[in-house]
Amino acid sequence: MSELTKELKVKLIDILNLQDLTPENLDENAPLVGGEYGIDSIDVLEMVVMVEKDYGIVINNQEIGEKVFSTLANLTAYIKENTPASSS
Amino acid sequence: MKNKQVFICGTGIISPVGSGLAATEETLRRNRSALAPLDLFPLQQGKPLPVGQVSGPEEEFSTPPRTHRLALIAAKQALVNANGPPDAIILGTTTGGMLTTEKLLQNRETDKKRYQFHGINTVADYLADEVNCTGPALVVSTACSSGTVAIAMALNMLRSGQAETILAGGVDSLCRLTYFGFHSLQLVDPNGSKPLDINRQGMAVAEGAGMLLLSTTRTRDTHGVLLGAGLSCDAYHPAAPHPEGKGAFMAMQKALNDASITSDAIDYINLHGTGTPDNDLAESKAVRRLFTTAPPLSSIKGATGHSLAASGAIEAAISCLAVSKDLIPANTNLQKVDPTLGLTPQKKPKDSPINVVLSNSFGFGGNNGSLIIAEPETCLSPGTKQNKIKLKTKTKTKFAIHGYSCLTGGGDTNSTLQKIKEGTTVAGRAELETISKKLPPRLIRRLKRLPRMALSLASQAHEHCGAERHTPHSIFMGTGWGALSETYDFLTRLTESGEQFPSPTDFVGSVHNASASQIAIMFGSTGPNITTGGGDYSFEQAVLAAELMMDKSPAPALLLGADEGHPVFSPLLDPSLASDTSLADGGAAFSISREPKGALCSLTIPYYHNSKAKDAMAALVTTLSATTGGLDGYGLIMVGIPAAMHQKGEEQLALFMQLASLSTPVFRYRTLIGEFASASAVATALAISCFESGSVPGTLTGGTDRHLNHQQNKILVLGLGEHITALELCRP
Repeated sequence: MSELTKELKVKLIDILNLQDLTPENLDENAPLVGGEYGIDSIDVLEMVVMVEKDYGIVINNQEIGEKVFSTLANLTAYIKENTPASSS
Repeated sequence: MKNKQVFICGTGIISPVGSGLAATEETLRRNRSALAPLDLFPLQQGKPLPVGQVSGPEEEFSTPPRTHRLALIAAKQALVNANGPPDAIILGTTTGGMLTTEKLLQNRETDKKRYQFHGINTVADYLADEVNCTGPALVVSTACSSGTVAIAMALNMLRSGQAETILAGGVDSLCRLTYFGFHSLQLVDPNGSKPLDINRQGMAVAEGAGMLLLSTTRTRDTHGVLLGAGLSCDAYHPAAPHPEGKGAFMAMQKALNDASITSDAIDYINLHGTGTPDNDLAESKAVRRLFTTAPPLSSIKGATGHSLAASGAIEAAISCLAVSKDLIPANTNLQKVDPTLGLTPQKKPKDSPINVVLSNSFGFGGNNGSLIIAEPETCLSPGTKQNKIKLKTKTKTKFAIHGYSCLTGGGDTNSTLQKIKEGTTVAGRAELETISKKLPPRLIRRLKRLPRMALSLASQAHEHCGAERHTPHSIFMGTGWGALSETYDFLTRLTESGEQFPSPTDFVGSVHNASASQIAIMFGSTGPNITTGGGDYSFEQAVLAAELMMDKSPAPALLLGADEGHPVFSPLLDPSLASDTSLADGGAAFSISREPKGALCSLTIPYYHNSKAKDAMAALVTTLSATTGGLDGYGLIMVGIPAAMHQKGEEQLALFMQLASLSTPVFRYRTLIGEFASASAVATALAISCFESGSVPGTLTGGTDRHLNHQQNKILVLGLGEHITALELCRP
């Protein structure tokens, strides 16, 4: 698991207040939205803000948003692809 | 019984398309959009988004705030030909004096007097003062359906015979909270709102005020007739509409039933049509389900923008215009209709005979309302499908209470009540653990203080009456200050991030009705869902709302009052909190129905007036004397005097006791429960607990324990100060 994935797990649990989850049991390939974590459209927008604030990447297109936030793995990949300074 | 209709005898409207009906009509006929980039307040960065701003020379930062001023402009228009002040005012607003508060916070203002117009109740109180109304001045806050819900409540109050004229409407001014809030939800179209268009991307946040003078007597100035109203709740999601428009359908269907007409009587539908992809789709599904062939329809929000609480009232005024001028307004800004909607919106304004209009308003929390407005002659002509509304004699509903709960700084229901009965103060902030107890972590992960309290109170009151059949169909909640934590956190993060990263979660949670909509989601309560914000009389206003709007079916409802104490906001905003007053919060909830069998006690609200009313105390005494058992039936009088109104309240109490010639023991409940707006809800729970134990502890009244018997089987919960309110609880 990449450092970025680990970092994102901690951030998501924090900003979405997923109290009953730990980074270990948050599956990066499980459906993030509409799945068992109870994450919905408002949470997606909260994650959009986080991605912009912490990684400087703006997601304001619903179609892209749906792909990016479908799983944690996709979110990690999208951030990696779109961070110019990223070397990881 | 007399046949009775509710007439619209005056309309006031101020919106981005103009001030007054004439100017509004002119702009609508020209099909002109008034949306333009925001310039009411400066932005720290970025291009201003298109909004619906009312033109005027007023500064952004004013006392009274812009919301209050907009409301007064519309109110004066509505009352221009009135014979006297209205008997009552019912107003919908979401953000009250927020625009001014935002500026004060930016300036780090600490003088609490400057915040005196923050509370949503102050808008109605200000109007009442300005137009000399001494009857009830009620404020409902159900997000974007607030104006419509206010008018629906007024309709029922007039039908009940409790008033003959009511000024009802809605108002909101632009402010940072809503401007950035809707933007954070990606619900704003950067190119201006184009409802029902295939390329629609969202709404345009707007401002304005709409007011109707409603009367049971027809005057020369009658513009229309308010035939019916329907309210529902999606009970689905805090911000998104039900994808199939289930609640929207129910609201429209109930409005038709209420008006005793069928869908084919509708000549024009004024859609809610915000321009967000989800709203317009859900609404179109509901319309297609209700109408075999939809009549002409349009959303005017491409012209006006979405003025939130004002929108339903502004559109009610425009519906009057439609019936009086036979005008179908255009769906301004529409270029290419979205074919998936299956609707044919009016592309250009059209002159066409319009007799009956259906007007929709839907808000956050799935709070839906529909109104039916008709041309006056339609309703009087023979052969019309509409039945005359029957006026009841002046009626006051008696609720049966089947279960209750409360919480305070003293802990949960049992702990709070035991401590109070021992004479120990419970004034303090309820523990986070207490307010989150038994609530699943997933359910409350996004919820801060007030919604947790509300859910906790609701589930415990429901549990207390211990029966599935008591699952509430409707929810009535009073809160003086709403979700202070969410509001504070939203504004703080907005400022700290240089207006870049406001929280969508906090915005959704900041609306006054967020808590009641969470309760509706928890229970699947699809009936009326009304949140009142009447300052220190918020719980009493919720009781009034329940009395007026609880469906006629025997289905139970949940009634509650709750407020959170916020370490920064409460001392600034609540005039009753002095620098040395301990921060207190809490509330109480009641499972109520119309079925007295098996109930713990009954609840009524015999009196609610402004203390400025002539001979208010004498009228209170007369009213209470006429209740079953009269004044002698009270075993205890619980009195709520907010600290800020101490002297006035004590004088009122002394006068009351003198006029009533009573020696009944008095308990000033705020001394033990604490200073918070909905403390009277906790006092009401305490009263029920006294019935259960059969006595009033001497610790409360400074005497000996007093037994409640058949002669003295009632407890009075009096609210004094700015308004005078009476709740009466009676043991069966």
